[in-house]
Amino acid sequence: MLPRVLLCGRFPGEIEYVQDEFKGMFNGIAEVVDLVLISSPQFGPGGPYEGTIALYRRNTSSEVLGKFDAPLIHALADTSMVRWIAQSGGGYDEIDVQACKERGISVSNTPGANEDATATATLYLMLSCLRHFSMAERSLRSGTWKTPYNAAQTHDVTGRTLGILGLGGIESVPDWCEYVSSVEELCKQADILSLHVPLNQSTAGMIGEKEIRTLRRNSVLLNTSRGRIVDQEAMVRALEDGHLSSVGLDVYPDEPRVDPRLLTFPRCTLLPHIGGESAESWRVRELQALGNLRAFVLGGVGQDIVPELKTGIDNSTTL
Amino acid sequence: MSSRIMICGNLVWAHEEAKQLFDWSRRYCPYGFSRSRRFSRRTKSGRKVCMELWASTGTTPPQISIGVFDTEIIDALAEMGTVKWIAHNGAGYDQIDVFRCAEKGISVSNTPGAVDDATATTALYLVISCLRNYAWAEQSLRQGTFKSGLHPGRARDVTGRTLGILGLGGIGLRLANLAHAFPMRVVYHSRNKSADAPEWCEYVDSLEGLCRESDVLSLHVPLREETVHLVGEKEIRAMKKGSIIVNTARGKVVDEEAMIRALEDGHLSSVGLDVYPNEPFVNPRLLEFPQNALLPHMGTENQDSQRHMEVRALTNLRDFLRDGQGKDLVPEMRSKL
Repeated sequence: MLPRVLLCGRFPGEIEYVQDEFKGMFNGIAEVVDLVLISSPQFGPGGPYEGTIALYRRNTSSEVLGKFDAPLIHALADTSMVRWIAQSGGGYDEIDVQACKERGISVSNTPGANEDATATATLYLMLSCLRHFSMAERSLRSGTWKTPYNAAQTHDVTGRTLGILGLGGIESVPDWCEYVSSVEELCKQADILSLHVPLNQSTAGMIGEKEIRTLRRNSVLLNTSRGRIVDQEAMVRALEDGHLSSVGLDVYPDEPRVDPRLLTFPRCTLLPHIGGESAESWRVRELQALGNLRAFVLGGVGQDIVPELKTGIDNSTTL
Repeated sequence: MSSRIMICGNLVWAHEEAKQLFDWSRRYCPYGFSRSRRFSRRTKSGRKVCMELWASTGTTPPQISIGVFDTEIIDALAEMGTVKWIAHNGAGYDQIDVFRCAEKGISVSNTPGAVDDATATTALYLVISCLRNYAWAEQSLRQGTFKSGLHPGRARDVTGRTLGILGLGGIGLRLANLAHAFPMRVVYHSRNKSADAPEWCEYVDSLEGLCRESDVLSLHVPLREETVHLVGEKEIRAMKKGSIIVNTARGKVVDEEAMIRALEDGHLSSVGLDVYPNEPFVNPRLLEFPQNALLPHMGTENQDSQRHMEVRALTNLRDFLRDGQGKDLVPEMRSKL
């Protein structure tokens, strides 16, 4: 009997963009099953998902399954043969990787698949915040042309200083990209601070009152990583007293909920977590996650193992 | 005899620079807006930041009028016999009848270059917004529906798409360089091949050819008689289905009816506009498409660019006073020298 691979989506037909490639990938290697019902006991002997050795998931799976927290991981480890979880997406903060590590389940993600799309989203947020474009578009659509717009408060992009927190796993940093030795120093120098770190125990809330107040008055904060990296209350306070001139966000602490106070600051640009999403990046992401799955099924180990589970990496390290 | 300079409007940023450029106290007469009996013009609210300066030799203060500098105004200025130079603050100067000025011996300068970066950045923003459907996404969030109702498949990466630039002047070239950073494939068409075009920037020898090649067509030509409705039904239909038009030049360069028809039948997936044929009026049919990115003509408006533009216009004026010639004489007048 072929081993089983389970696609944990919201509905059958989870794979949306690479169906042709997908059909060929698992022929004769594994039986692919769509998750229809929830709850782990079904993985056990006699259950409908018996023989499943690997799972494919993405963050919208949480709507159906709940997050892959410690209890779920423990149940998987104890009652099933699942030993690999392939996350489709760069962020995997919805999986308790520590629990996986303790129970011998590996986790992969898809680094790189969303990079270009997310960087483009960040660029868009930066342009919009510096030039107040979002506010201007809304003004036009509500019939007031550019009335609330005040050119005196907007800026060119050229010549401004962009501070990037987290440069990813890049081997060769361009020589025009200057390294700064602390978060505080980065905040002192940046006109625009943009966050590009994964969410984990070390990074949750790392941009708080102190860091925000270290930014100069009228700075801009951009976040296309995870909402919880920023202390939301500190951010809102800084918007209220004008210390931050605006924020450009693609992510929020508790999606799809958006703090209604954010909508009261007209200069902010707010996207609904679509930064990584384009037709092309979805294809790349699905293929990459399926590839990781296939490699595990064939050879017992997939690629793109998350940093915390790679041997010798200390998971409290940031950046 | 001292020269008198009149500022039609208000200097917003470049007060220090103006003091340095001119012997301020003796030559500068800051007339504000006024309703001239002779011209019967009314100030247009949108013109607050766009100012005209001109030098007059003589003691009679010229009448001031704000508004389009058409034949009537030019003739009246010429009649006074003293106005010799109009230094326009802005790259586009279709508001001034330059041919009439030439006939009457009045020179006109504009501020090319000073607007390039800000306008190109605006165009880049519209390119990204349209390809990725961000206008729709922002509206969806603010309406409380987060991302439901959006189709990820409609959003396309910027990298690898073809940007077609119509007119490779300062603004078009700056946009080409910005787009190349992704990289987008950049092609362009203009009346003549550009000597400044980088080697990755491919020339296409016809407008229709440019339309056929482009995923996104961005317009960077001045508004003149021959560019009105330059992009019309034929050109739009030559584009691929699902294409995008971005316009930061002038509204009348595009046939708006043809463009809206193409949105309605999906031939154009969206448009990104900063300009409209009859500002500040915006055709309400454009608003029916949530994926359109619509800005209220703010291409150059930010404090950094505006300062540059004021300084540039003032410098042209200073050069005229000092050397008899400002550097940014408009192209139409250069051939007459």
